[in-house]
Amino acid sequence: MADSARIRKLEEQARQLRRDVVDMVHKSGDGHPSPSMSVADIVTAMYFDVLRIDPSRPEWMDRDRFVLSKGHACPVLYAALARRGYFGIEELPTLRSIHSNLQGHPYAPKTRGLDATTGSLGNGVSVAIGMALAARMQERDYRVYAVTGDGELGEGLIWEAAMCAGHQKLANLTVFVDNNNYQSGGTVGEVSGVYPIKEKWEAFGWTCRMIDGHDMGQILDAVDSARKEKERPSAIIAKTVKGQGVSFMIGDNSWHKRIFTDAEYASAMKELGGSK
Amino acid sequence: MSDIANTRAGFRDGLVALAEKRDDIVFVSTDSVKVVKAEDFAKRWPERMIEVGIAEQNGVAVSAGLAASGMTPYLCTYAGFLTMRACEQMRTFVAYPKLKVRFVGVNAGLFGGNREGVSHQFIEDIGILRAIPGFTILCPADGDQVKQAVLASADTEGPVYIRIGSGKEERVFPDGTPFRIGKIRIIGSSGRDVALFCHGFVTNRVIRAAAELEKAGVRATVVEVATIKPLDVAGISEVLGKCGCAVSIEDHNVIGGLGSAIAEVIAEHAPATLARLGLQDRYGESGHPDELLDAYGMSTANIAETAKALVARKKQGLRRFRTEQA
Repeated sequence: MADSARIRKLEEQARQLRRDVVDMVHKSGDGHPSPSMSVADIVTAMYFDVLRIDPSRPEWMDRDRFVLSKGHACPVLYAALARRGYFGIEELPTLRSIHSNLQGHPYAPKTRGLDATTGSLGNGVSVAIGMALAARMQERDYRVYAVTGDGELGEGLIWEAAMCAGHQKLANLTVFVDNNNYQSGGTVGEVSGVYPIKEKWEAFGWTCRMIDGHDMGQILDAVDSARKEKERPSAIIAKTVKGQGVSFMIGDNSWHKRIFTDAEYASAMKELGGSK
Repeated sequence: MSDIANTRAGFRDGLVALAEKRDDIVFVSTDSVKVVKAEDFAKRWPERMIEVGIAEQNGVAVSAGLAASGMTPYLCTYAGFLTMRACEQMRTFVAYPKLKVRFVGVNAGLFGGNREGVSHQFIEDIGILRAIPGFTILCPADGDQVKQAVLASADTEGPVYIRIGSGKEERVFPDGTPFRIGKIRIIGSSGRDVALFCHGFVTNRVIRAAAELEKAGVRATVVEVATIKPLDVAGISEVLGKCGCAVSIEDHNVIGGLGSAIAEVIAEHAPATLARLGLQDRYGESGHPDELLDAYGMSTANIAETAKALVARKKQGLRRFRTEQA
């Protein structure tokens, strides 16, 4: 179990990343705010606790890798990279602007510290598998983490990847499913019939855990358990809330991709403990 | 005619030669070990042989992850299962981030797909990839040229696509003939009457057509364009400037492939007349490979006749031009 000081620190960091998301989407006037909010705690746990990384050496071959398969949630990933010092925080509001290093969806060659180009849904687990296989071939002990959405599980390629990683016994691979239960067009249950999720991963030879994706202790414990696996890749189904942290975004799926009015911006920042 | 230079074996031999020298070489199979008879590779380097099963999109995206982590993956399967089924993975996850994944597409063209029929005969692969920024596209003429292309492209920046066939290809060049990426190759002597641009498994037919033309008093230049991208625009322009008319011969749809590429050079750099032989924007069918090429406009006789007609038109045009000047 993670101690409470460590958890409190991560929770404060997650609030910071959420403020960064609101701020950059507001200033840029574009982006996906609520999908970033649901995955903010997982991304925080990754970049501020779990990942073995060195921001001064983004190309370090032995670093852990992180693949945001639900690439539209990149505002929170950019915030994490900036707060870890891969680039300046002042770059964040350039999101989605011409000549920015922060593309609308993640593009690894442009953004320092970014491990994978993603955005088109369904592909990130496969890319992560390639990275995990390379670790095995090169006898490196780095681990690979990926996050998919739950709507994203509608992509057939996800299940090609699930079959492959199970077959290859990639114990160095951990995939989070950000189970916020919404996709662009409505709830996941209504739109795509993807449930049950856990049994599917298990059927492909994965160890699968269900957690509260906003409970930092549960996130860290699930990662610890995944690290102990010897033969099976790990799937962590993280029950999350789309828009988590900003009450008026919760339950209103229009925030999948929507910009803030000045009043909404002020209200969101206040709720997240910001100065404005 | 019976001198076989198997392109699938050529790929496998090139891959083995590379793997003997370098430990970054990986063979990614989508159940394609038997397709290219790569059992030897699988036995010698089991840790560098990744079998993903019949799952091409996964094969391509896994290769992207391998390449992003310092490996050089070679992914070989049917040309259309790569360039069509996994097209988006080839573009967004490999070409866009400039990753060094090598794709080898089998059963390309009518000749490569032959008796399998349209589902396994791919006449659009070059057109699809030519429209994607960042690809190097290679169309070697025979088995040993495939091996040489595999060796030559090992360190090429970004993704590479090598177009191969069914394994029943004729020899065109002596073994060991180097493969130069990005340069045209003039085969035989240079004639100034007409240029014959080609690549791949129709090359011998074009060489034979040039010999027939020679007997009829028409001097042709046979130009092998084995690198379709990046295209040797200067080399092609120079030939076009000398000949003034050209025939392109390709086992591919005439839209998007070599004929289109030559037409672009003509339009932008070197005015000339052009006739495009290949699939005339239609599908093929099952059949013996040589019968198919004959039936779909790529017979030696049709290449020669098309060239003669172009040369006659050119001479007529010149006469008219001279009359008008006088």
